[in-house]
Amino acid sequence: MEKISESTRKKDHAAKISGRALYVDDHVPDGMLCGKLLHSTRAKARIAAVRLPSLPAGYLVVDRNDVPGINRVHIVQDDTPVFAEATVEYAGEPILMVVGPVGTEVERILRAIVVVYEEQEPVLDMRQADEVFFNYNYAQGDIDKALAEADLVLTETFQTGYQEQAYLETQGIIADPRDGRMTVRGSMQCPYYVHGAVAKALGCGAQAVRVVQDVTGGGFGGKEAFPSILACQVAVAARKANKPVKVIYGRREDMAFTSKRHPSLCTYKVAIKHGEITGMDIEVLYNSGAYTTLSPVVLQRGLICASGVYRIDNLRVAGRAVRTNTVPAGAYRGFGAPQTFFAAEMMMAHVARELGVDSLALKEKYMVRQGDATSTGGRYHFPVPLPAMIARLDELTGYRAKHRRYQAQTGRCRKGIGLSLFFHGCGFTGSGERDYIKAVVQLRKNTDDTVEVLASNTDIGQGLKTTFCKIVADTLGIGFDRVYIDNPDTDRVPDSGPTVASRSLMIVGGLLQRAAGKLKAGWRAGEEQVIEEHYVQPDFVIPFDLEKFTGDAYPTYSWSVNVIELEVDRLTGTHKIIGAWGIYDVGVPIDLNILHGQMQGGLLQGMGYASMEQMEYNAKGLIRNNSYSDYIVPTAMDVPPLVTEFINNPYPYGPYGAKGAGELPVVGVAPAYIAALENALGVKINKIPFTPEDTMRVLQEVEHNDSIHS
Amino acid sequence: MIQFILNGQEVSSTAKANVRLLDVLRQEFALTGVKCGCREGECGACSVILDGRLVNSCMVALGHVAGSTVMTIEGYRATARFAALDKAYAAVSAVQCGFCIPGMLLASECILARNPRPAEAEIRAGIAGNLCRCTGYHAIVEAIGIAAREGKGLW
Amino acid sequence: MVNGYQAASLPAALAILGRDTTIVPYGGGTDLMIEADENATYLFLSKIPELKKISEDAGYIRLGAACTFTEILESELAPPLLKTAVSQIAAPAIRNLGTIGGNICNGSPKADSALIFVATDAKLRLVSHRGERVLPIAEFYLGRKQTALAADELLAEVLMKKDGLGNYYYKKVGAREALAISRVSFAAVLDVAGDKIAGCMTAFGAVSDVIIKRPELDAMLIGKTLAEARTAKAAYLAAYDQAIVPIEGRISAAYRKAVCMNLLRDFLASNGI
Repeated sequence: MEKISESTRKKDHAAKISGRALYVDDHVPDGMLCGKLLHSTRAKARIAAVRLPSLPAGYLVVDRNDVPGINRVHIVQDDTPVFAEATVEYAGEPILMVVGPVGTEVERILRAIVVVYEEQEPVLDMRQADEVFFNYNYAQGDIDKALAEADLVLTETFQTGYQEQAYLETQGIIADPRDGRMTVRGSMQCPYYVHGAVAKALGCGAQAVRVVQDVTGGGFGGKEAFPSILACQVAVAARKANKPVKVIYGRREDMAFTSKRHPSLCTYKVAIKHGEITGMDIEVLYNSGAYTTLSPVVLQRGLICASGVYRIDNLRVAGRAVRTNTVPAGAYRGFGAPQTFFAAEMMMAHVARELGVDSLALKEKYMVRQGDATSTGGRYHFPVPLPAMIARLDELTGYRAKHRRYQAQTGRCRKGIGLSLFFHGCGFTGSGERDYIKAVVQLRKNTDDTVEVLASNTDIGQGLKTTFCKIVADTLGIGFDRVYIDNPDTDRVPDSGPTVASRSLMIVGGLLQRAAGKLKAGWRAGEEQVIEEHYVQPDFVIPFDLEKFTGDAYPTYSWSVNVIELEVDRLTGTHKIIGAWGIYDVGVPIDLNILHGQMQGGLLQGMGYASMEQMEYNAKGLIRNNSYSDYIVPTAMDVPPLVTEFINNPYPYGPYGAKGAGELPVVGVAPAYIAALENALGVKINKIPFTPEDTMRVLQEVEHNDSIHS
Repeated sequence: MIQFILNGQEVSSTAKANVRLLDVLRQEFALTGVKCGCREGECGACSVILDGRLVNSCMVALGHVAGSTVMTIEGYRATARFAALDKAYAAVSAVQCGFCIPGMLLASECILARNPRPAEAEIRAGIAGNLCRCTGYHAIVEAIGIAAREGKGLW
Repeated sequence: MVNGYQAASLPAALAILGRDTTIVPYGGGTDLMIEADENATYLFLSKIPELKKISEDAGYIRLGAACTFTEILESELAPPLLKTAVSQIAAPAIRNLGTIGGNICNGSPKADSALIFVATDAKLRLVSHRGERVLPIAEFYLGRKQTALAADELLAEVLMKKDGLGNYYYKKVGAREALAISRVSFAAVLDVAGDKIAGCMTAFGAVSDVIIKRPELDAMLIGKTLAEARTAKAAYLAAYDQAIVPIEGRISAAYRKAVCMNLLRDFLASNGI
C-alpha cells in the first residue's frame, strides 16, 4: 500500500458527527421569508389563467414576469424556464412561488390558488416521442457486412427504469439580496454552475452574484444541475421581495419533481459467425423528459459504454435522447453508463447462453487489453487489469464453481451468483475539460505557514476536503492539520470546475499537487504566497471529435469486477442478498477508508437499482413513488457485509497515481445482480428493476412450462 | 405550556400540543443537529432519544412529550459514550454526507445501551430505521462494533 | 395544553372524550403524524397506567392498548406469535412509539399486529364514560378503515387466549427487510391435540379492504387427523382460492394471490398436511 492510501481522520468528521455542521435549512437569516413552489398538476397544458386569492400583507407571488433577466436556466442548452410561461410541459413544472414570513400561511395561499389548464395530450412513453433532443451515431468496421454474413443474429431489448438519488438532504437554497448583491447559498455540487445561471436569470453581471455552498447532504448527481434551477427561482423571489428567501423542498416534492436517472431502452443486434461474435448493432433510447438539462452528455457517455468492456470490431451505435412530458431526467452517479452497461453485460450473458458456453469464458475472450482501440477509436493507453481482478474475485467468492453448482437446485430457496465487468471513463466526456471547464486552482499560504486550498469543488460526502488536503500536505511535506479548505464561496475560490464525472480528485487533485509542488519549491516561511495552476490536457490523448464521435472519450478508465450472490424465495418471489463483492482499480486510492466508503455506497445503490428501486409515473404522467415508503431504498438489514478491495494500478497522469472513483461502483452492479437472478431462476432477464413481482411471474411461467412438459 | 426535560434542562414550550417535536426542537430550541429528511417517519434523520428510547421526532406530537425526557445530539455529544462512538466512527471514516449521522449516533447509543456487545445482526436491526444513502452501512456497522469493543464499561 | 389533553387515568381520559368527541385519541402518533392535521386536538394516552399494563388471568393474556410494540417485545407474557410479527414492524424508532391499540383502531388491513389478533380471535375491551363492552375482534372491523369504535370510546385492552397458540406460522412479505409496509402477510395457528386438529386459525393481511379471516373454511380441517386433513387439503385450498380476492393496486392482485396460496400451502406442508 502506498503511504498516501493510509486513512486519515476526515476534515469534516467532527462537525458532522457532533451535529454542528450547518446545512442550508439550518441557516435562518434575519427577516427571512419562506418560499414554496406551485407545481403543475398537468403533464401538458396551456395555462389559461392563474387565479390568486387576496394576499395578506407581507406575502407575494413570484412568476415569470418577475424574472429581470432571461427566463431560462443556463445549463447546457438554455431551454428550462425559470418559471413556466404559456404552457407546462410536465407534471411538476414550477409555475410560480408564494413567498412570505410564515410557512404554513404560504402553504395555505398555495392551496387557494387556482390554475386553469387547457389540457393537451401529453407524450409519456419514450417510444411514442416525436421530438428527438439529441441524436448521435458512430461506427467501427462494417456492421452491415457482419450482419449479412452472420449465421446467427440475436436481437434483444433491455429496459432500465428511473433511479432517484434519494440523498438524505432534500434540495434547498437561500438567496439574500442585501448589500446590493445576490448571495445564494445552499445544497449543491457546482457553485459556479449556480453562479452562471443566477447571473443570467437576474440579468446582472457576474460580480453581482455570490454563491456559497453549504454543507451538502448527498448529491449523487442530483445536485449537479437542479440547484441552478431552484437558485434562479429563489434569487428572483428574493430580488422581488428584497428580503432573503429560503426554499427547502419537501421529500415528496423532491422525489417527484427533481431530476433522476434516465429510463432507457437499448436494442442489441449481435452478429455471430462460427460461434464468434462478429459485430453489434446497438440502438440506445433515453427518456430526457420535458427539457434537455444534461441529456446530451448523459447520452454521450451511455453510447461510449454501449459495447461494454469488449472488443467488437464491427460496431454501430445509434443513440437518441427524446422529449416526453415527464420530469426532466438528469445526472445520477454513473451518468448514462449504468443503462448501457446493464444491456451490454446481459447481452453477452445471453449470447453465451445461446451458444451454450459459459458466460464468463465468453466475456474473457472479448475483454479489451491495453493498447486496444476503444469503441470510439481511441486507445486504452494504460494497463487493463481485468484478468487479475477476475482471478481475485473468483478466489474470494468461488464464483465459477458456484455458478455451475447453482444451475441444478431444488427446494424453496434457490441461490444464484452473478458477475459483471465494467469500467468508468474518468473525467468529463470528450474535450470538455480542455474546451469548456479550463479548471483553475489556487493555494494560499498564510503568514503562519498554514495553507488554504482554493477550489470550487464541493465535498458532498465523498471526502474531497480530506483527499485534497492530503495531497497538498503530503506534497508540501507539512502536517495535514496545517492545510485546510472551506466550503467554496465564489467570491474566494477560482473556478476549478464542477463536482461531477469523477473528475474532482483526478483533475483538480492533480492541479493541486502541481501547485503544491511549486509552492514547496518557492516556499518562503512567514510570507503570504498564492500559487495558481491551470488545466493542461495530457499530450497522449487522441482528441475527441464530437461531430464524428471519434477519439479518446476519456484519458483513462477505472475498472471493476462485481460478484453478487443471492437467494430467491420461490414462495414469495423475494430476493435476499447473501454476498456482494467488488474489486476496483481506481489507480492509487487516496485514503483507503474513503475509497472503501465510496465503493460500498455505490455497490448498495447499484443493488437497489437492480431490484427494489422502482419509480413509475401514472397515466397522467405524475410520479407515483414519491416518498421513502414508496420509493424503496435498502436499509441496513437488506445488505450483507460488503467486501471491497483495490488493486494498485497507478495512473501516471493522476495525483499520486489516482484516477476517477466516485461513480465507478454503481456502474455495473445491476448486471451482476441480474446475472445472479438468472442463475437462480434459469431464465433470461431483460429489465431492471427486477422486483419480487417480476420474479413471481417468472416462477409461475417456469412452473407452468414444467407442468406442461412433464 | 408543555414542560419536558431537554438535554438535561427543564424546558417549556408554548407551541401547540399537536405540532411535531421535530419542528419545536429545530425552530424554538435551535437544535439543528436534529435533521429533517422526510417528515413521515421513514428515514430516521430526525431521531432523538425519548425517555431512553429512539424515536423519530417528526412522528411525535409535542403534547406526547409533556413530562418526558428528550435527548438530541446536542445533549449527547457532551457524554463519554459519544466520545467513544465519535472515535470509532472516525477510525473507519463512517461519516460521509453526514445528514443521517446525528440520528445514526443516537441509534448507535440505543443499540449499545440495550446490549453492550451486540452481534452484527443486532446492530443492523438497530439502525434499520436510519437510512443512509452514502455508505452502504458497512462502515457504520463496523464503527458500532468498534465502539462496543473499545468502550469498555461505558455501556 | 392548547390542542391537546393529557389524562393521568383512564376515567379522566374517558371523561374528556365524553365531553368532546372531536378529540382524537393519540396512542403513539405514528399513523396520526404522517399527515398531521394542524387543527386536531389530541388526547394523549401514553401516560395512562391502566392502558400500559400487560397481565394474565385464567384464560387470557391482557395487553394494554397503549403498550408500544417494543413493550410487547419486552414482555414475558406476550405470545411468541405476536412477538414474531411485531418484531418485523417498521424499525426500532417506530416500534418505540407505535401501539397495538393504534394499530388496531387505525383499521388498516396492513396492520401487522392486528393481523395476529384477528388470526387468533382476540377480544377487545372497549370502554367509555358510559361503561364497557368486550367485542370479538371479528366484529370490530366493519369495512375499509371502518371500525365499531364509538367516538367517545377507547380501546383499553386486547385479550389473547393463553392456550393453543404455540404452533404458529407467520410470514410478512414487504418491499425490504425493515421499514416495510406489508404487501402480503399471513398468520396461522394449528393446534394439534392427541392425533386430531383441535384448532386451525388463519388470516391474510394487506390483501383486501379488511384482513381476510374465514373460520368456516378453517373448520374444514378441525376435528380431523393429519391423514384426514391431507385428504381434505385439496378442497380446503380450493375454498381459499375462491375466498382470497386481492385488490389491484401498486402491487398486483395476481402477485398477492400467488403469495397467499403459496404460504397457505407451505403452512399445511410444514405441519405434515
